[in-house]
Amino acid sequence: MKPNNETNPLVRVRNLEVAFRIDRSVVFEAVKRVSFDIPQDTTVALVGESGSGKSVTALALLGLLPPENSIIGAASEVLFGGGNVLRRSAPELRAMRGADISMIFQEPMTSLNPVFTVGFQLIEVLRLHMGMTPGEARKRAIELLDEVGIPDPGYKIDAYPSQMSGGQQQRVMIAMAIACEPKLLIADEPTTALDVTIQKQILDLIAALQKKRRMSVLFITHDLAVVGEIADYVVVMRNGEIREQGPAQQVFENPQDAYTQALLKCRPQLDRRPMRLPVIDDYMDGRTLGSRDMSERTRGVDPGDAIVLEVNGLGKDFYSREGLFGKRKFEAVKNVSFKLPKGKTLGLVGESGSGKTTVGLTLMRLHEASSGEAIFEGRDLLAMSPKEFMAYKRRIQIIFQNPYASLNPRFIVGEILTEPMQLHGIGAGGQERTELAFELLQKVGLPEASFYKYPHEFSGGQRQRIAIARCLTMKPDILICDESVSALDVSVQAQVLNLLQDLQDEYQLSYIFISHDLAVVKYIADEIMVMSEGRIVEIANSDEIYRNPREPYTQRLLASIPKGWHGGRGDAAPT
Amino acid sequence: MIAATKVIAVAHTVSPGLWALAWTRLKSDHVGMVSLAIVAAFIVMMVLSALGLIAGDWAKETGINYAPPSFLGDDIEAGARTGAVTSPAGTPGEPGSETRPGGVDPLADAPAEPKEGAKPAEAPATETNGDGGKSVDPLADVMADIKAGAAREAAKGGAVPAEVRAATLPFGGDKWGRDVLKKTIKGSQTSIFVGLAAAAVAVFLGTVFGALAGYYGRWVDDFFNWFYSVFNSIPYLLLILAVAAVLQQKGVLTIILILGLTGWTGTFRLIRGEYLKHKAREYVQAADAIGASHLRRMFVHIFPNVSHVVLVQLSIYAVGFIKAEVILSFLGFGVPVDVVSWGSMLNEAQNELILGKWWQLAAATTAMALLVTAFSLFTDALRDALDPKLKGRSGA
Amino acid sequence: MRAYIIRRLWQMIPTMLGVILLVFILFNWIGGDPAYVLAGKISNQEQIDNIRRQLGVDQPAWVQLWIFIKQVLTGDFGASWSTNEKVGQILATRLGPSLTVLVPLLVIETLTAIGLALAVAYVRGALTDRAVMILCTVGLSISILVYIIVFQYFFAYKLGWFPVQGWGNGFLENLFVYASLPILIGLVVSIAPNLRLYRTFFLDEINQDYVRTARAKGLSENRIMWIHVLRNASIPIITHLMAGLPALLLGQFLIERFFSIPGIGREVILAVERSDFPVIKAITVYVAFATIATNLLADLMYKAVDPRVQLK
Repeated sequence: MKPNNETNPLVRVRNLEVAFRIDRSVVFEAVKRVSFDIPQDTTVALVGESGSGKSVTALALLGLLPPENSIIGAASEVLFGGGNVLRRSAPELRAMRGADISMIFQEPMTSLNPVFTVGFQLIEVLRLHMGMTPGEARKRAIELLDEVGIPDPGYKIDAYPSQMSGGQQQRVMIAMAIACEPKLLIADEPTTALDVTIQKQILDLIAALQKKRRMSVLFITHDLAVVGEIADYVVVMRNGEIREQGPAQQVFENPQDAYTQALLKCRPQLDRRPMRLPVIDDYMDGRTLGSRDMSERTRGVDPGDAIVLEVNGLGKDFYSREGLFGKRKFEAVKNVSFKLPKGKTLGLVGESGSGKTTVGLTLMRLHEASSGEAIFEGRDLLAMSPKEFMAYKRRIQIIFQNPYASLNPRFIVGEILTEPMQLHGIGAGGQERTELAFELLQKVGLPEASFYKYPHEFSGGQRQRIAIARCLTMKPDILICDESVSALDVSVQAQVLNLLQDLQDEYQLSYIFISHDLAVVKYIADEIMVMSEGRIVEIANSDEIYRNPREPYTQRLLASIPKGWHGGRGDAAPT
Repeated sequence: MIAATKVIAVAHTVSPGLWALAWTRLKSDHVGMVSLAIVAAFIVMMVLSALGLIAGDWAKETGINYAPPSFLGDDIEAGARTGAVTSPAGTPGEPGSETRPGGVDPLADAPAEPKEGAKPAEAPATETNGDGGKSVDPLADVMADIKAGAAREAAKGGAVPAEVRAATLPFGGDKWGRDVLKKTIKGSQTSIFVGLAAAAVAVFLGTVFGALAGYYGRWVDDFFNWFYSVFNSIPYLLLILAVAAVLQQKGVLTIILILGLTGWTGTFRLIRGEYLKHKAREYVQAADAIGASHLRRMFVHIFPNVSHVVLVQLSIYAVGFIKAEVILSFLGFGVPVDVVSWGSMLNEAQNELILGKWWQLAAATTAMALLVTAFSLFTDALRDALDPKLKGRSGA
Repeated sequence: MRAYIIRRLWQMIPTMLGVILLVFILFNWIGGDPAYVLAGKISNQEQIDNIRRQLGVDQPAWVQLWIFIKQVLTGDFGASWSTNEKVGQILATRLGPSLTVLVPLLVIETLTAIGLALAVAYVRGALTDRAVMILCTVGLSISILVYIIVFQYFFAYKLGWFPVQGWGNGFLENLFVYASLPILIGLVVSIAPNLRLYRTFFLDEINQDYVRTARAKGLSENRIMWIHVLRNASIPIITHLMAGLPALLLGQFLIERFFSIPGIGREVILAVERSDFPVIKAITVYVAFATIATNLLADLMYKAVDPRVQLK
């Protein structure tokens, strides 16, 4: 809460207050009297979960907040270049943007204009701020593309954004941002939408550029591990306020604020595996942690484990139109085989396009498999007729990634929970089903009154719990978690992971846990299966895979995980 | 019954669903509420008129011909004293005329008014067009019958005797002295009823087709898409005219069918898109996972998420069809001659304008403009109020 | 690309067949026996018999259908039931006047609507925006009939600036003397709906992420609107224009009727009044084919103009 008093910082933010007018009577305070500094030639990380106000703060620095409904406090100051940015005129702001301060955003595909070439957009900003001629600008643009690592820049300069991958698009954004030699680069969650290997490349690129050009970087993210890797200085925000700020070493090794401590602890670490993940509330209540069980949980698959599901040669092809009358085949899943032990968790890891989600959906028969078998209780689930499968449907259930889309917005929670019971004949009547629903709500940690509410009244984490409860109504044997915690904030993630673990302990449920987040998977899975381009690359016990990855792909994957502060020592705070 | 007590004992507040939230939002939109009030007023008027409670006697010739509106005072040129037919020989551009800039004075050749009782056989000159050929007016015979009937009535003494005819009417009188205000009210009944009914038919068809196509996909979708593109390649107006040409009998039901059976394409496209979108959403996949059947998914799960779109479509189409009916009636392909509609009023108004009698035009135009504007503004407000983005606001 | 075009052409065939089928069902089946239809309209019995024979009314349905298909393929729909003019001839001569009004109108109205919509989108959210939209709504709620009647009355009849109706002989004379008032009316009537639609297109684009990036780069609002936004919005505008072309041809029918312009639209109305089926059938079929063709063209243009889309 005290700004760093370094002399002559690049940007000084003082008492920044931003509110948004929602409608006539409702005003939402997004940023409440925030003060911090951005020193010269430094990487400052602005960390927070969703709703913390970090993006709003960044937009305010550029004067980019929508004028029609944003209200900036009168005492707010953003001091840069000898004046208050918030008081500058429009032409002054325009001269500043892109030239002195520039910004890159989270979604590179939509942030680039799709109908103009990459070169056009680069040249545009060069000519605007640097006054170059078209010829000079084009030459410089090619140099910039090369600098950010775009292969064959002389050719790619005339490409359209849609012809490039996500990683390349982000590099182009970076090129546009640094083209005019800005003093400050603001990066708003630039790698959140990218695969972990690409993320590493982009992070390295930004770090290299920062050093070379001696510019400051304001890096906005929710991922503390990333922060640990790149930041010199850290500012932690929650609900529009700064909870803690200071040099990275201080914040990571000696966090003063309860929330910061909680954030650091809630995230699954790579080097330890407590029985239960700490959650934010544990810290915010000021409870000492001595009372909690800090013993480690062992995981692993033993040869003697009972097998509940055996999958052999699973394959799934997708077809698309090609040429005049032809079809093109895309093999999303190729020859996947594995065994799922009872009461244990199989982690399924891969980057986007690896086919991991397709495996889950195919096992559920939400997609029709192209080949292979899935043996459950002696029968092949994939070969049954739809009618026969109805009886088995309830035995294997799925929790989807997007908590905002997996519950019908028009059903109340009660209907969502009782419907599966109705369909499968569980519970003798409406009364009994309602009873069961209440029980389940309690089991997943929600108040019984939730029964009467609509999904939109709940947060993401709560909705996932409702989704879990929905699955539990049918008492399944196998639960497929398809990126089920990926869309949740760190603190909420921990709660849901704990819940899943409790349920597994109690009911002996078997999980197939699909995720791209390697740290989470290591925490929750007994055995891990790494997939790439539809094939299994490697299967082993989770500890083993991390300790001793055999395949080059696995090694590359593991090497890309942001290690956090000091490369994997995690937090040194003894609690 | 412990279970029962337990259920009742769980205190909860009734959560507002989509409709309740939308209503709250709509209430705070002043323009929207005013528009809703106006539309509601028109509908009430329509119902009253349909029940015959008001404007039932619109066909009675209570005023003198071309009676001016009361707020203007007595007509300076005293109109004809009886219900005689004044043949407006001069629609602009009588057969064969090459008009010079400056136009032709259409009244130059106005024939003397025929005496009372001598009317029937002379069908009025074609009011519908002034082209070169002598086209036959399909309405001629029907009109003649009506006039003959009126003449018989007059002869029997059923018509209002000449001396009792009012000099002015609240909003003026038309060519035959009928009360324009009453005609406007009665006309609104026709137009609104046609608009709403046709909208119901069209949106219903479009929704069912769109749901089937969007949900089932593959060959079902291909079939409906083919069906849609066939209908869609014929411009809408042309299709209506073609169907009107083919269906010889006129009538309100006919128009409703014409408009409804041809107008479903827009809704089809929209609802099909919605179903395609929702089918891919996780909550539908989740419904599949728990074992819901196709029909259940289509109507119990997806439809409530799409119903607000359907409602807005109804509103949009009602407006469009009201306007279409007016044009159809104007051209003579709409309501039969003994039913009044704003379109038929405009038809008469065209000729009256030349004679300087503007009130029928003004009445029909104003009423229609008022209704359609209000309805359109209400549609916009409805759409805003139902905007799904609203839902994420509370709590999350 | 070529494969795509061929495949699309191939897909057009079922639709065209469908149109033929629809028209056939409508006119030959539901419409019924020409004898009945024309009763009271044409007194010449021999003429009616001729017509019936041509259509093959007494023959089984598929023979009649085949006759119709032949007509479509050869372009010879016989003669009009009322004027005995060859249908093909009728259509050929009516196309010119329609286009003389339609083409200038299209150009002017599109440019005007784009300009106005850009201006309105520029000041979005402000009171002017709301006011303009309400004005548009009011404008839309007045029937086109009223515009025509009133304009014709004031500008032609009362003030005498334009001819009240009619059509001349020379192209230039037609364009500047006779088409002027119709074009003016068409322009006024089209502003409200087009403005609303284009404004939506522009607003959709303004809310996109790339506009935020452009602002972050320091570009001026002018440049953003005129170059970035317009270029993106031109995609839906072009598709909308192209898709609506054939419909516009007919949409002019009211104007043609009032002004006695011998165009296709007016021809349709006359044909409907006279139950002149061959004319209506021919126009319907040809306009439908034109629509299908322009749709294909629109799709091709769309893919040419939007780099995101790939031809497959």
